[in-house]
Amino acid sequence: MPDARRPPTEEPRLTTRRPARRRHRYPRHVVAAMPLALAGLLALLVSGNTLRPFERVTTIDGKMASKSDYFKDPEVQRLLLKHGIRVDIHRLGSRGIATQSLRGMDVVFPSGQPAARLIMRQQQRSVRTARPFVTPLVLGTFRDYAKTLVAAGVARPQRAPGGGETLYYDLDMKNFLKLIEDQKTWNGIDFDEHTDRSNAGRVLVRTSSVCESNSAGTYLSILAFVKNGNQAPGTERGRHRRAGVGGPAADPVLDVAEQVKPLINLQGMASDEQADSYFSDEGESIAPVSLIYEHQFLKHQVDHQKKRGKQDSRRVLLYPSPHALTEPELISLGERGDRLTDLMESDAALRRRAIELGFRVRFSGEDGTSEQLNAYLREHDVQVPTPNPDQTKVDAPDLNALERIINHVGSCPPAGRDDGE
Amino acid sequence: MRPRRREPVLALCLLLLAATMLTACTKDKDHRTLRVLASPELADVEPLLKDLEDDTGVELKLDYKATADLSGPLGSYDLAWPASDRSYLLRLQERGERAARPESTAIMRSPVVVGLTRAVADRLRRGVPGGRLSWADIADAAADGTLRFGMADPRRSDTGRAALVGVATAAAGTGGALRTQDVSCDRLRGFRSGQTLTGASSRELIDGYVRRQSAADALIAHESELLTLNASGKIGQPLEIVHPEDGMVLSDFPLMLLDAGEHKAYRKAVDWLRRDDVQKKLMERTWRRPVGPDVPRPAKLRAEIGNALSYPDQPAVVQRLMENYGAPGNGRAAAGDHVVFLLDFSTSMRGRRMADLRAAFADLSGADPTATGKFARFYRGERLTVVRFAGRVLQERTVTVRGDRDLKSLNSFVGEGQFGDDTAVWSALGRGYDIAADAVAEHPGRPLSLVLMTDGENNAGLSYREFTRRHAKLGGAARAVPTFPVHFGEADADALRRAALRRAADATGGRMVDANSSSLSQAFKEIRGCR
Repeated sequence: MPDARRPPTEEPRLTTRRPARRRHRYPRHVVAAMPLALAGLLALLVSGNTLRPFERVTTIDGKMASKSDYFKDPEVQRLLLKHGIRVDIHRLGSRGIATQSLRGMDVVFPSGQPAARLIMRQQQRSVRTARPFVTPLVLGTFRDYAKTLVAAGVARPQRAPGGGETLYYDLDMKNFLKLIEDQKTWNGIDFDEHTDRSNAGRVLVRTSSVCESNSAGTYLSILAFVKNGNQAPGTERGRHRRAGVGGPAADPVLDVAEQVKPLINLQGMASDEQADSYFSDEGESIAPVSLIYEHQFLKHQVDHQKKRGKQDSRRVLLYPSPHALTEPELISLGERGDRLTDLMESDAALRRRAIELGFRVRFSGEDGTSEQLNAYLREHDVQVPTPNPDQTKVDAPDLNALERIINHVGSCPPAGRDDGE
Repeated sequence: MRPRRREPVLALCLLLLAATMLTACTKDKDHRTLRVLASPELADVEPLLKDLEDDTGVELKLDYKATADLSGPLGSYDLAWPASDRSYLLRLQERGERAARPESTAIMRSPVVVGLTRAVADRLRRGVPGGRLSWADIADAAADGTLRFGMADPRRSDTGRAALVGVATAAAGTGGALRTQDVSCDRLRGFRSGQTLTGASSRELIDGYVRRQSAADALIAHESELLTLNASGKIGQPLEIVHPEDGMVLSDFPLMLLDAGEHKAYRKAVDWLRRDDVQKKLMERTWRRPVGPDVPRPAKLRAEIGNALSYPDQPAVVQRLMENYGAPGNGRAAAGDHVVFLLDFSTSMRGRRMADLRAAFADLSGADPTATGKFARFYRGERLTVVRFAGRVLQERTVTVRGDRDLKSLNSFVGEGQFGDDTAVWSALGRGYDIAADAVAEHPGRPLSLVLMTDGENNAGLSYREFTRRHAKLGGAARAVPTFPVHFGEADADALRRAALRRAADATGGRMVDANSSSLSQAFKEIRGCR
C-alpha cells in the first residue's frame, strides 16, 4: 500500500439521519429498497465490516508468537479499528522471528527480551518499541499431577481464600529437576495413587522448540540458573570452577548447557502451541505438564468463570521457584509500525484490555504490575496468585551465553536470514 | 416541505445500497483459490469447503496424496494438510537447513487407536488383569497367532508411521521418546508377524478391510476413521475401539502455509476452520475431536484417549524403525527370523543355572507377563533351532512356530535334555555356522542369528583358532551371521573366557550380553531382534 502514509479518513458521520415521522410520505421505490438496504447494513454489521467501504484501514503485518493472543482478541481489534488499524498476524515462534526474514513486516512482537534483543541487534536503525506488559513463565498442569508433585515433596499449594481447592502451587525447581534426572515416571512417584488412571511416562515438561520459541528459551535460562547453583551461567568469571575432563567442561556455559540438555531433550520432538493443547479437552492426555505463560492461564480462568460460573479447578498452575518474568516487546520496523507502537504506549483502553486478558501492566504511580490485575481477578471470582516472598528471580544469562545454551541444547540450525536484510 | 424531508432517507438508502454492493465487490475481489496437498483421510472435510468459500471467499482445492512427510515437489501447492507435520519437520531438520518453518495450525485431533472385533476384544481382555488392553497385549496376541491386524504402510502413510512409532515407543517402555539405542534391535518382530493387511494410506487400508473383513480381526488407525467406518454400515459388526493403556500418538491435522504469499487467505481459512460452529460440523462429519474446549461432544468422543507418547526428534531413529519393520501385510506371509540357540548342557549347568535357562525359554514362549516380555517373545512364523552341547554337540531340534504345540515341544527339548561332561564352546559354534550356511543357502533373505549360551571354559573340541580358521572359509552370507554370546557364570574368575566370547561377538557383528548382571531371561530379551 503505497498510500499508507496518508492519514486515514474519518469515519463518515451519518448525521443526516432523522426520525421520519410520517412513513406514508415516502414513495414506493424507497420503501421497496429499504429492506434490501437494511439487509446490507446488517450483513456489514454482522461481518464486522461496518463502514469499511468508507474508511481507510491500515493493515499492519506482524510476526508474533503467543502474544498474538492479544491482537486476536475481538475487543483489542475493535479498539484498534477505532484508530483505523487492523493487525494481520503471522504466527511464528519468537526466536523463529528473530532468525527468519522480516521482509513485508511492519512490526514484530517477540514474547520476551532475549528474542527482542536479538531482533533489535539486527536492525540497522534505531527502532520504536513498546513494552506494554509482563507475564511470568509458568507450568500448566492438572490437579492429580499437582497432588502427585506435592506428595513427592517438590510442590506446595498456595492457600486459597475460604480454604477451597487452590489453583496455584509453588514448585521447587531444584528438587523437581531431580525427579526428572532420576528418570522417575509418573507412576514411579505414585501418580496412580492419586487417581484411577495411570501414566508410565517419564516426569517431564513439554515445551515448544527451544530453537523457535521464547518460552522454551526462558525455561532453559531457569534450568541453567538452577543447575549452575542459582547464578547465571557465564557470570562466574574469576571464580574457580572445577574443570571436567576435556570437552565442553572447560567452558562454564557449555558445561551447564550439557547438564540441562537431557532435561529438555527427554521429551523428544517439541510441539508448538503448548497453551492450545493444554486448554483443549485432550490437554491432560497430551501433556501432564506444559510450559505456558501466566496470562494464558488467567484468561482461561476468567473465561471459564464467565461461561460456567466457576473456576476450572482441574487445571492448575505451578509457579516455578526460582521464577522468570517475560517481557514481550512490540518492535516497529517502519512508519506503519510506529503508529501501533505509539498507540500501545499511549492508549489507556488498550492497556486496560491487556489486564482483562491476564497480563500484568505497569501503570504510573504504581509500585508493581499486579494491583490492577489482582483487582480484576477478584472482581471475576478468580483466585489471586500470591507471589512467594522468598522466591528467587532468575538472572538470565547474557544474550550471548543464552544463545550458546539454546544452540547447544536444541542443536539449532545456524541462524541464517534468507533475505540478507 | 415533503421533498426536503425525503432526501435524507433516500440518501441513506442509496448509501446503504452502495455499501451492500461494495461488500459484494470486495468479496469478489478477495476470492482466492488455494491448492492444498492433503492426506487422503481428509476427503471427509470436502463437503464443508463450499461453506468456507461462501463465507470467506477462500476456495481450498484438495489434492489427496498419501505422503508421510510431504516429500516430493511441493512447488505447486499453497498449503499442506497432513494428519501430522512431525515427519515433515524431521525431514527439514535432517536436511539441516534453516528452511523457514511454515506457519502451521492444528485443526482437529485424533489419536491412533486399535479397533477390534467384539469377539477378539473380549478374548484379549479376559487374559489381562484389569481388562485394560495395551500395545504389549496386541503384540503378544499377534505373536501367538491369535490376532491378525491391518495397519497402513509407515513408509508411505503418516497414519501408519504414527502407529508404528507408537507401538515401538510402547515396546521400548522407557516412558520417554525413542532413542537410537531403543531401535538398534528390532522389538516388533512378534507384533509384525500378526499383520495381514496394509495400504498406501489408511483410506486404502480401510477399503481393503471392507472388501475382505475375514482378513483381519483388528485395524490400527485414527479413532476418527474407525468411528466413521463403524457408522458407515459397511462392515458386518462394528469394531470396538480400544485406547491402549501404554499410550498413543495423537495427530492434530495441521493446516500448513507453504506459500507465505498466501498468508491472508490462509489466515481466513484457519480462523474459519477453528470457529466453534465449524468445529462442531467438522466433528459431526469426521469424528475427529475439536481443538477448542468449547464444543460439546457426543459420548463416543468423550472417551479418555490415554497418555500421549513422546515422539522421537531424531530422523535416524524413525528411519531405522521403518527399515526394521519393512512392509508386511501384503498378502504374503512375512518371513519370520531364524534363531539358532547353542546351549551349554555341561554338568556345571546342573541345578540353579539350568532352572534359569528353562525359565528363560518358558518366558520367551509367552509366560513373561511384562510388556517387554510380550514384545520380545517367540512368534508365529519364527524358526527356532536348539543345539544342546557339552564336550560335543549332543542333540538338536528345529521348529517353525505355528502354534503353542511347537513351543511346548521346544520347551520339553530344553527341559528334559541330559547333561554331558566337558565344554566344547567352539565346536558348538562351528556347528551353529554349519546350520547357518545351510539356512542362508535355502532362504537367502531370512534374518538369521546365533545365540551362544555357556558358563564354562572351552576344554574340548575345536580351539578358538581352529574355529576362526573354519569361519573364515564360510561363504560371505554365512560369515555375516552375527553371534550373540550370553555369558553365565562368575564374573571375576572368567575374564579370559569372556574375552574370547566377546571376540567372537565382535568378529561376527554380534554383541556379548552378560547374564550375571541381570537374569538370563532379561539377557535373552535384550538380544532378541538384534542382527
